[in-house]
Amino acid sequence: MEQRLTPAPKTRFRLLPHDWRSQTGMSIALWIGAFFMIVPFVWMLTTSLSRKADVSMPRTPSLWPPDPSLFNYKIATDNLPIIRLYLNSLIVVGATTAGYLFFCSLAGYAFAKGRFPFKSTLFVLFLATLFIPFETRMIPLYLFMGQVHLTNTYFALILPFLAGGFGTFLMRQTISGIPDELVDAARIDGASEFRIFWTIILPLCRPTLATLAIINVIWRWNDVLWPLLVTSDSSLYTVTQGLALEGHSQGTYTGVALATAVLAIGPVIVAYLFLQRYVIRSVVSSGVKG
Amino acid sequence: MTPESASSSHDPGVVARLRRAFRGTLVWYGFVLPPLFLILVFIGYPTAIAFEQSVFTQVPGGGQKFAGTFHFERLITDRVFWGALGNTILLGVAFLVIIIPLATILASMLNRVRRGATPLKVIYFLPQLTSSVAIAIMFNYVFQPDWGLLNGALRAIGVNQLPLWLADPRYDLTGSRAAATILAVWAGLGYFIIIVLAGLQAIPTDLYDAAAIDGASPLQSWWYVTLPSLRPTFIFLIITGSIDQLARFSDLWTLGGPGGSPARSLQSIVMYIFQQGFVGSDFSLAAAAAVVFFMIVLVVTTIAFWGFLRREFSAVR
Repeated sequence: MEQRLTPAPKTRFRLLPHDWRSQTGMSIALWIGAFFMIVPFVWMLTTSLSRKADVSMPRTPSLWPPDPSLFNYKIATDNLPIIRLYLNSLIVVGATTAGYLFFCSLAGYAFAKGRFPFKSTLFVLFLATLFIPFETRMIPLYLFMGQVHLTNTYFALILPFLAGGFGTFLMRQTISGIPDELVDAARIDGASEFRIFWTIILPLCRPTLATLAIINVIWRWNDVLWPLLVTSDSSLYTVTQGLALEGHSQGTYTGVALATAVLAIGPVIVAYLFLQRYVIRSVVSSGVKG
Repeated sequence: MTPESASSSHDPGVVARLRRAFRGTLVWYGFVLPPLFLILVFIGYPTAIAFEQSVFTQVPGGGQKFAGTFHFERLITDRVFWGALGNTILLGVAFLVIIIPLATILASMLNRVRRGATPLKVIYFLPQLTSSVAIAIMFNYVFQPDWGLLNGALRAIGVNQLPLWLADPRYDLTGSRAAATILAVWAGLGYFIIIVLAGLQAIPTDLYDAAAIDGASPLQSWWYVTLPSLRPTFIFLIITGSIDQLARFSDLWTLGGPGGSPARSLQSIVMYIFQQGFVGSDFSLAAAAAVVFFMIVLVVTTIAFWGFLRREFSAVR
């Protein structure tokens, strides 16, 4: 079929492009796949809006609530101070991201443009941290936080994530690409090294900083392992942690558990829909899974 | 006039030289030391302690005594540890074997389809932004045997023998491990598709032109041109995916608690460390497991870093 279609005279009028069959086939396959990606979300939303869901669920899943009600959301917000959780997550994610960008840029600048003894040794040391999975050191780190009396404080959630090998490496790569002449010109004008860093280098690194920020926000927002270790005080729970613990205890109340999940992920998904271009680009350019 | 100001006004050269020397070297330590301090305290120190604890026994009431390989022997004779390690590897391999071909096919279609590629990409990537805890809570109900979304749909299309999914700890294709793998593939698909898409877009078009001149059909050029050209992408995904899967925790913990219920069928190695160290306060055993975990990840990361990641990172400018 394909063979015979190809040498068709160019002047022939076509209502459809020559590859309409493969295009339609691919579209159908992709949208079926997309349906499977979406449908659990829709079902979750439907179930969370159904008051009966806590008592009995329909044997055949429904994608529209038979008895729309915000009852489950009321119970969910009564059980869990969701505003407080969001505030905690924002504090922790905001502080770690600001700190991570700042400290990784500091080190990245020194390793890219500086000249000082032990530079390469120190750089290797920074890179070596990439080889140490967090899970290896989490129990000693948790014990250490106890020794310095920081468990159940924001500090315990923030301090361990303020600097790291990945960010330093990425920043060094980016800053290395900035011409030395730019830095030298500023030096001749008498600018201090920190001023050069702050007013010339950082603005030029904006795309990389954005990438690093997005990746770090995803990491920290979704982390549950570390908060589970260092915070047992429910007023310090992050959104993900609160959801993990509440989801467990609400296991039998399907509607409430799913309403909690919707409250925990809804705002993130809305933010993603607005920022999706940047989010996807960041993940592609760094190769790092959020 | 104080001596300092006198010297600076009389000999500006010394100050200038000092200032230059400071700017030349010392100032850089001002940049490096704060992050270095953070890394030493929060990464270096606890890692060293993990290694130390693995060869010492904590004495009740403080202090510790040298234990040699005792805790490692306890570890390798612990069937729970082997179960957790086995689960981690099995789940990781099953995940990669399914997700890489699936993502490659979907990404190849997404790359060629002329309409709707952007909304499709956004949809496939959506679970990636959802915390694995929320996904696990959701799938806990999706896999519910009586009225869950999956079994409900299966019943609607006429399946009579409905699987038990998460309630079935056996090694079968409808058991808890299978359910956990379906969950992981669903959640990770977007990331894999996005990375394969980036790989596809990096393939030079003249390769396809050459294939077309040789009379290759679209399917043939996909098989003989696209797939071999994606080799670096596949290597990257296999290595980073393995590291990621080795550290799997939050979703399995949400589904089955630290013990990985049912019957420890969902316990991963990180959950084992968490359970021994945090729940059971057996810090030495947890440290021994953490050291073994470190070694496994080190082997994979070394391959990743020198073979591939270095090039991958340097592409980011």
